[in-house]
Amino acid sequence: MVALVPGVRIRVAGRWNRTGDRSDYCRVELSSKQPGQVATRSPDSEGGLALRLRDVVCRHGRLAAVGGVDLDVAAGQRVALTGTNGSGKTTLLRAVLGLHRQVDGEILVGGRGSRSAAEWAWRRRACAWIPQRPAAGRFPLLAHELLRSSGDGGQALSAAERLGVGALVDRPLSSLSGGQLQRVHLARAVGCVAAGAGVVLADEPTAALDFAGQEEAAELLTGLPVTLLVVTHDRAMAARCDRVLEMAAGRLREVG
Amino acid sequence: MSALDQIGELLRLVPVQRAGIGLVLAALGLPVVGVVIVGLDIMPVRFAMMHVALLGIAVGELLGVDPVLCALLACAAAGAGVAPLARTPEALSGAMGLLMSLAIAAALLVLALSGVNANGAFALLWGSILAVRPSDLVVLGTLAVAVPALFVWRRRDLALLLHDRELAVCSGVPAQRLTMLLLVLVAVAVAGAIRLTGALLVDALTLLPALAARRLGRSLGAITLWAMGIGVLVNATGFLIALGWDLPPGPVLVLAAGAVALVAHLLPERGASSWRVLDAASHGGAPH
Repeated sequence: MVALVPGVRIRVAGRWNRTGDRSDYCRVELSSKQPGQVATRSPDSEGGLALRLRDVVCRHGRLAAVGGVDLDVAAGQRVALTGTNGSGKTTLLRAVLGLHRQVDGEILVGGRGSRSAAEWAWRRRACAWIPQRPAAGRFPLLAHELLRSSGDGGQALSAAERLGVGALVDRPLSSLSGGQLQRVHLARAVGCVAAGAGVVLADEPTAALDFAGQEEAAELLTGLPVTLLVVTHDRAMAARCDRVLEMAAGRLREVG
Repeated sequence: MSALDQIGELLRLVPVQRAGIGLVLAALGLPVVGVVIVGLDIMPVRFAMMHVALLGIAVGELLGVDPVLCALLACAAAGAGVAPLARTPEALSGAMGLLMSLAIAAALLVLALSGVNANGAFALLWGSILAVRPSDLVVLGTLAVAVPALFVWRRRDLALLLHDRELAVCSGVPAQRLTMLLLVLVAVAVAGAIRLTGALLVDALTLLPALAARRLGRSLGAITLWAMGIGVLVNATGFLIALGWDLPPGPVLVLAAGAVALVAHLLPERGASSWRVLDAASHGGAPH
């Protein structure tokens, strides 16, 4: 047991063996005694996976949206990625998940690359993703179906309760407002972490939220026992992170 | 003779009984294929598959192999071939148009080389529900079981994939394999349905129930059930009307399915209640 807040237990249960490799994965279990409570971590808690990017270049056609990025994020570190629109932040996050195809350089999560389909599958289980401006989708999906896709529907549903969208889980996502949809995605990320994800990649997770919601989301995300890489224009979110990086014209620099 | 007497009389005929059974079986499987077509936004798939099937027939004629079997195999290969383009919805829809053009050009070339009349080849594609054979019923029955079974077996993966491919990929759904399976299924079902029931009826059996269901259901499961229910109801009703008033079944069924789809589109969309109302309900406060 590594961290406690009232009613919530976070337990590092040991090496997690879903791919046969026991060396680099810790399963973090979240269990809540009080329904709806969302887990947070204490400052000395450990968890998460290290992230390493070497000379990463991402192209949109001939245009290099990300140019030669080097980045090391230690396990459990919280990093805010700021910068102007179009500077390559979202592309960089999508490259980690393999959603952007034209990528050169090396990206390691938990020391593992992504050469095979199995390694990509592992990467996507290891990294929870909160997309920028989550789409309502082409075909209807109920909110609880999205929450269950996290791998731990129970924890995701509890987090949804805590985030004030518990009553909406039987609704199609297309009937939710932008802020409600973002809260559902935050709750899904909690479910992903409970299911074993060691990294959260959040792309402007508070952009559609009201002021109270922004605080709540920042507290939730920075409190999870994982490595956090969050693209944000929200100063409160950046202030809660251990490091602040700035992207400009596809280049990365440390600003705080 | 009243319409009811005429229906009773006609239903004693074996081809009419087969047609009725064929329609019910088709209504269980094909509307679900229609749900996939609507979900993947590949409405031109029927036209694409007609042309690919023609290419298959042309190749079959050239090689001296069963042309209908070649048509089904060509459609399956085409479905699998366009699967890698499914990464964005726009790419897949555009690919169908490209496939249609390339297939018809290749088919005409092969037909010219094999010396087969193009109209004769097209005639092989055109079936009629009243000419359904027992072997066709087996194909329709297989589709009626296999397609809904796939939807029950992989319902969570399918719901995510049809909602948002990237989200599905990040949730561990084998999106590439599943898309390929769906496209092969759609291609074979559409090509088979054209052969079994005629090109016009394919729309009544696949697309129109799915389009109506898309408006009535709020989740993939609900849409699938609506599509199957509408398919069975419309086909049974349309078929009986066609028998009772001595009308051609194809146009009657298409008009009946079209009328249901139109009514469904005129109804206010379920689940589209304003998020403001939901927000007020969830927070107990004023809408923002």
